Amino acid sequence: MSFFGFDTTLPKDRGHPLAAPGFGQVQDPFAHLSQGANNEHDDAIDFDDTYDGLGDHLDEAGDDFNDDTFGGGPGANRQTVGKDFDFFGRTAEVSDAIEEEQLRYSRAHDLKGTSLGRNQVAPARTGYEKYQALEHVSDLQVDQNLWGEPEPQYQQPVPARKMMSLDEVEALMKSQKKHAIPVNQQQVVSREPTRTTSGYSSDTPYPDRSTAPLSQIPSQGMYNQHVSVELPATLPIGSQSHQHHPQHPAIFQGPDHQALPPGLASSQRSIAQQPSSHRMSGQQMPLNPQQMLQISEAGREEFLKEEAKRAKRNHKIMLLSKDNGLMTPQDKNFITRMQLQQLMAASGSANDQDPDATLSEDFYYQVHRMIRGGPRTNPQQPLSHFAQTYLFQTGSRHNNRKANRGADNHLQRMEQQVQRAVEAAKAKPKNKQLVIEGSLGKISFGNSKTPKPLLNIKRPDHAETVSRSRGAHKEINTNSRRAILKDIESIYSSLMKIEDEARKEPPLPTGAASEPGIVEQHMAWRSGMQALNEKLWSALKVLEPIDPTSSVPHPFIAMLSFSKGKKVIPRVFRHMSSEQRVTILTMIVIHLDVLDVVRLGQLQPGETHLPTASREAIDLFSAAVTPSLFGYVSEAPLYNIMGLLGLILDRVHVQASAKTRIGLSILTMLTSRAILIRETGATDDGEWQQWTQLYNRLFDVLEPVLSQIFPGSFNSGEDVYVWQFLAAMGSGASPEQQQRLVIAVKDRVMETVTQSKTLPPDMAAQRLGNVNLFMRAIGLDVELLG
Amino acid sequence: MLFFSFFKTLVDHEVTVELKNDIQIRGTLKSVDQFLNIKLDDIQVLEELKYPHLSSVKNVFIRGSVVRYVHLPAASVDTALLEDATRREAASQAAKPR
Repeated sequence: MSFFGFDTTLPKDRGHPLAAPGFGQVQDPFAHLSQGANNEHDDAIDFDDTYDGLGDHLDEAGDDFNDDTFGGGPGANRQTVGKDFDFFGRTAEVSDAIEEEQLRYSRAHDLKGTSLGRNQVAPARTGYEKYQALEHVSDLQVDQNLWGEPEPQYQQPVPARKMMSLDEVEALMKSQKKHAIPVNQQQVVSREPTRTTSGYSSDTPYPDRSTAPLSQIPSQGMYNQHVSVELPATLPIGSQSHQHHPQHPAIFQGPDHQALPPGLASSQRSIAQQPSSHRMSGQQMPLNPQQMLQISEAGREEFLKEEAKRAKRNHKIMLLSKDNGLMTPQDKNFITRMQLQQLMAASGSANDQDPDATLSEDFYYQVHRMIRGGPRTNPQQPLSHFAQTYLFQTGSRHNNRKANRGADNHLQRMEQQVQRAVEAAKAKPKNKQLVIEGSLGKISFGNSKTPKPLLNIKRPDHAETVSRSRGAHKEINTNSRRAILKDIESIYSSLMKIEDEARKEPPLPTGAASEPGIVEQHMAWRSGMQALNEKLWSALKVLEPIDPTSSVPHPFIAMLSFSKGKKVIPRVFRHMSSEQRVTILTMIVIHLDVLDVVRLGQLQPGETHLPTASREAIDLFSAAVTPSLFGYVSEAPLYNIMGLLGLILDRVHVQASAKTRIGLSILTMLTSRAILIRETGATDDGEWQQWTQLYNRLFDVLEPVLSQIFPGSFNSGEDVYVWQFLAAMGSGASPEQQQRLVIAVKDRVMETVTQSKTLPPDMAAQRLGNVNLFMRAIGLDVELLG
Repeated sequence: MLFFSFFKTLVDHEVTVELKNDIQIRGTLKSVDQFLNIKLDDIQVLEELKYPHLSSVKNVFIRGSVVRYVHLPAASVDTALLEDATRREAASQAAKPR
């Protein structure tokens, strides 16, 4: 509700008036078109068009109680109390009374300086005395006639124009063409002398004002009021004749720059555009008012638009620039280096110049990617095979990877860029501690690679450690678990060195054309490999003297009792010479019954299954060690086989060994190899005679236990290795021996055949197939038993 | 760098991360960094009834320091290689002057 009839809405509720200048003002880019259409009339101001009509919206209701408030009754001197009640005048009437009250108060409180108080009051009144005498407050209603005169210096706000639709714009443009031509001619005539005589130099903005287009004058005031104040004086009286022209949509929309001759218009535009070209530098100063005057209306509009943009941008820059200079260039460099290093670490980048460093830093990932990157046919690949893959592919894949890196080119570039920074950081000796002068403590730093040490234990000298451990080594039982594990680790460390070296193998010298440098390089590599090989060989401890009386097993055999000792064999074999291999094989064969897999591989009375641990050990041995041995045996000549078999018969408890999977498979390995050699005819009869003697000895030793070499139950289906052994034996046996073989295992054969009838077809076929291995070897078939 | 190197090979494998506050989160390992911060995708909280507030979470970033265990998919760990990598790490640590 309005109390005094005012608009009670708060300014913020009203929003920014559309007509008022400021950011809220919508610029109508087509305004000049409509202006152009009415070009001949725009030299006058039409009040109807300029009056914003706000008065019409005033709430005139709700003043019913004004009379009660201000003492005016109906019919009473309504003339004196209007809406324009003079508060000051009325208050001045009673000001004497107020003053008296004030004096009385001050006297009652006996204030000091009453005279001063009086003096203070007195001047407050001066200057307003005339109001005191004022009995009649004149009606301050605005005389409408006042507005009859055009007063362009008091700019009426531009009425909020509704934006024209596209159709309207088109219509205007069309109509404008018809209108424009005659107007143009008129203006060109009037302008021509101005331009030719003085141009647009800054000291004479409008040398001849009377010839300046009238339409421009009011619009100048729109932007620069203090300049335009003087302009009304120059306005021709004739302009008034148009002042009430009803169909003026917009008076102050500026003249039509299109109506100007094209040359002129373009020159003006170029002035206006100049600032825009400098805008980016942010150094463009706003034109001074005089310069502003020279630019045409349209140019100015454009300029002001640019100016607004520039101001906005500068404001933004200003907001952002409050943090300028917060970091020094060194700080920025530091941060950048940190980020780049992070990036290097995250991308797992290969430091192309030093693949070895990367490999040692990031060994698992790099190698894993090389191995698993390729297609892996069988996820259940045995470890030995797997390790083989790993070794073979390490060298070649590495090179491929470098070549295939075109895809992540950007990363590569980044790396190159980073490299210098990183290397510089590496080169600089890192100070791990900071001792601030005067402080008691010290600050130690750490990074991801060298974490901050929580404990600082001083290590004894390396030499000291070695000597002490060597001394201790003598004392400790060489067979102690810890010692064996350490021995295995030393094998691994020399093995890894040899593998690293093997990866670095220089290209083989090719023919006569090869450079001496390459040959030299190769020779150096060879000798290096040789040294490493010797180191590995000594680490294996194969040649430690065998003490048959000792209760402790040979160190090499002791190492084989650990799973990682078994796992190392295939990797070691790859770097062993043929003699070294046969030595290892001999060591294993001599200690066959001491091997943990043989010792623990026999079923104890009452057991149907081996303990899980020994079963796993046996699986691992047959997966890791046996293939390596077999790899050698399958190429060995007969006399080697004979030597090995002779050793077994002489030094090993054959019957016990034959009851285990590993023992039996080694026997199978040797006998089958001998038979293969015989079949290929690569032996002479004398050798074969010796072999037959050995074979007969073996047969005689094993015959009593042939029925006991089968593992526990039939159902396990694990007896395939036994049938393989029997097949190997059978194929090398004489007819008489074959007879004895059949008799020995007859029960087992029959049992398996009958059992298999109750089994599902595929399992039955598998079992019968196993038996058939043996049956076929002696010229029989399970079908005959059917 | 061994663990970082190791976990990088497990990217895109499903792992279960056990946090020090006993929450176990299973998800696809998306990323890991040198601090062993872990990013998991398509996560699922074990014992979801106990941690209902996590039932709508789809991916997480776990700060490395709050991880107690990471349960690994055994099939994607190459133990032989890991052993070697460990040996190398130990060797380089020993070689490094303190």
